[in-house]
Amino acid sequence: MTIQVTVKLFGALRQYLPAGSSFNSCELTTAADSMLEDVLGMIPIPEHKAYLVIINDEKINREDYTSTRVQESDEIVLLPPIKGG
Amino acid sequence: MSWQQQILRVNLSTGDCKIEPLNMEWAEDYLGQRGLGSKYLLEEMDPAADPLSAENKLIFATGPLTGTMASTGGRYSVITKGALTGAIACSNSGGKFGAELKYAGYDLLIIEGESENPVYLHIEDDKAELCDATEVWGKTVWQTEELLQQKYRDPLMRFASIGQAGENLCRFACVVNDMHRAAGRSGVGAVMGAKKIKTIAVRGTKGVTNANPAAFFKIVNEVNARMTDRDGMSRDGTIDMMDVTNRFGSLPTRNNRQVQFEGAEKMNAEAMHTPNANGHTNLVTNAACFGCTIGCGRICKIDPTHFSVKDKPEYHGASGGLEYETAYALGSAVGVDDIDAATYAGFLCNEYGMDPISLGGSIAAAMELFDIGAITEKETGGIKLEFGSAEALCTISELTAKGEGFGKDIALGSKRLAEKYGHPDLSMTVKGQEFAAYDGRSMQGMGLAYATSNRGACHLRADPYEHDFETTDIPGKAEIVKNSQDEVSFIDSSGLCLFPGGCGWTLDDYRTLVAAACDGEWSEERMQETGERIWNMERQFNLKAGLSKKDDTLPKRILEEPATSGTGKGLVCRLDEMLPEYYRLRGWDEEGVPTQDTLQRLGLLSTPVTP
Repeated sequence: MTIQVTVKLFGALRQYLPAGSSFNSCELTTAADSMLEDVLGMIPIPEHKAYLVIINDEKINREDYTSTRVQESDEIVLLPPIKGG
Repeated sequence: MSWQQQILRVNLSTGDCKIEPLNMEWAEDYLGQRGLGSKYLLEEMDPAADPLSAENKLIFATGPLTGTMASTGGRYSVITKGALTGAIACSNSGGKFGAELKYAGYDLLIIEGESENPVYLHIEDDKAELCDATEVWGKTVWQTEELLQQKYRDPLMRFASIGQAGENLCRFACVVNDMHRAAGRSGVGAVMGAKKIKTIAVRGTKGVTNANPAAFFKIVNEVNARMTDRDGMSRDGTIDMMDVTNRFGSLPTRNNRQVQFEGAEKMNAEAMHTPNANGHTNLVTNAACFGCTIGCGRICKIDPTHFSVKDKPEYHGASGGLEYETAYALGSAVGVDDIDAATYAGFLCNEYGMDPISLGGSIAAAMELFDIGAITEKETGGIKLEFGSAEALCTISELTAKGEGFGKDIALGSKRLAEKYGHPDLSMTVKGQEFAAYDGRSMQGMGLAYATSNRGACHLRADPYEHDFETTDIPGKAEIVKNSQDEVSFIDSSGLCLFPGGCGWTLDDYRTLVAAACDGEWSEERMQETGERIWNMERQFNLKAGLSKKDDTLPKRILEEPATSGTGKGLVCRLDEMLPEYYRLRGWDEEGVPTQDTLQRLGLLSTPVTP
């Protein structure tokens, strides 16, 4: 059993989108019992890159990545640190 | 060393232009650009003087690395008492003008007095002369550059000019160089207009010397190689931040009533890259300032069928487009999601010489005044000044640029405007300067940074971003803001840009370049102390100008109205918890005045603390 989620990468993180993605998002298929950490593991972002995760407009703390279950049609947003523009 | 060790001093009242030696003791203590220019300003003028009077001075200052091969080494600053704020103003610009001024042989250009009739300053190396500006007074920045280029026929001559906004003393008029780079903030262009100096035309052929060029270039190359994360900035520019702040909930929207903008996706990097229904793409290419290896600048075109320009072919060409701050101020701040309208208003800012952040912030305040009925179509001359109206944005921007109709009220800046119409709380400003594109509720450290910025609300005077991104908890915020203010003060005095810091450089990379350029021992401690000295000196200027603790605050909305959405939903800025700690860390008393011990430690005792 699998589910599909939308992952959106903004700013400098966009370079880590899989080939064939749209401007800033991709659809990922994952096991129905996947945790957030499993989905993040599918995106090749280097470990030293900081980012913030927001699922359906809720900020997810880093310590909750392993215990947050993703749901069908979730929008998972990864934000790089804000920098002055 | 990479200082030219010379100043050009121009007295507009007498017409004298003379070359003086640079005070090298001050250069060692204040480095250059922001620090050194501010030191001269504090020493030479009464900070209590009216910013639009002859007593105010206008200083164009380069840094030791300006004009060198260090990446981004093209920066200069305009330092004066701000027409918008009444505080010390230091407005930083890129382009090619700064390097050219340095090549003419000057670290600083000090302009004093005021001219009876409009003039411009023509500099070619040691030759400097004031010329009759009748032919360009009343012209736009773009027309001025074109006319004087035709006259001098030197494609390498660079210009820093005011447009009609500066001539008309618009409180947020800026100084524009190289057509679309600007010393934008605090109304430095109004000071230039009050002095009746239209433009500075400069050509330099001297280059920048260095005691050991081979060693310097080796270090420059090593440091440049560490700028490993710049592709995103080159490709998408600063406007890429639009999605990030919007999703985070720190994108000021409709005069900070909201912190997320439903139209952000029509104003972001993707929108700039993507053809519209007519097949028109906003972004043409990117652009770099002198010596820059990032190239974050946007060169854009307005859709020629768009209502703003369909009958104005002069705006169909490519020019400086929306950066993140411009896209916020002329977009979410006024509730407009029309990228062509915002680009047009941005073109007007470059053409007529206005700070887009303050223009957008002032229009946003006026739109809220209109919304609550404090102003009506009677005051606006029939314009329906409603949030979200692209037509109103374009029309009111034109009127402000030209100093006509209700545009004269917008040109006051939002503080004076909101006071005039009886609702001072609706001005989203600190020290009279409009907010940049971050909300101080989801970004608590930014709230403190705005409140304590010496030049008024500013996003480039501290670096609380990463900590704010991590947490809204208060512990640690004051220290991060204080330390990063000192670091930024140092970088702003070097001749380099802040952006390499977001593209891979560390603070030590900046220090290494300064040490290589200045032939001295520039340790981390000296770097931090120099920045701290500059910050405290700016504070001294402001105290003598009559500012005090009461000016280190935020609008009522940010302190009392909780954010309505985003990661900071339900929060107000807890400035009262951060400010006392900030003062303590700064070595200031409870009233925000540097103590004698602090001044002595930083070598600032010679300048009186209080008015």
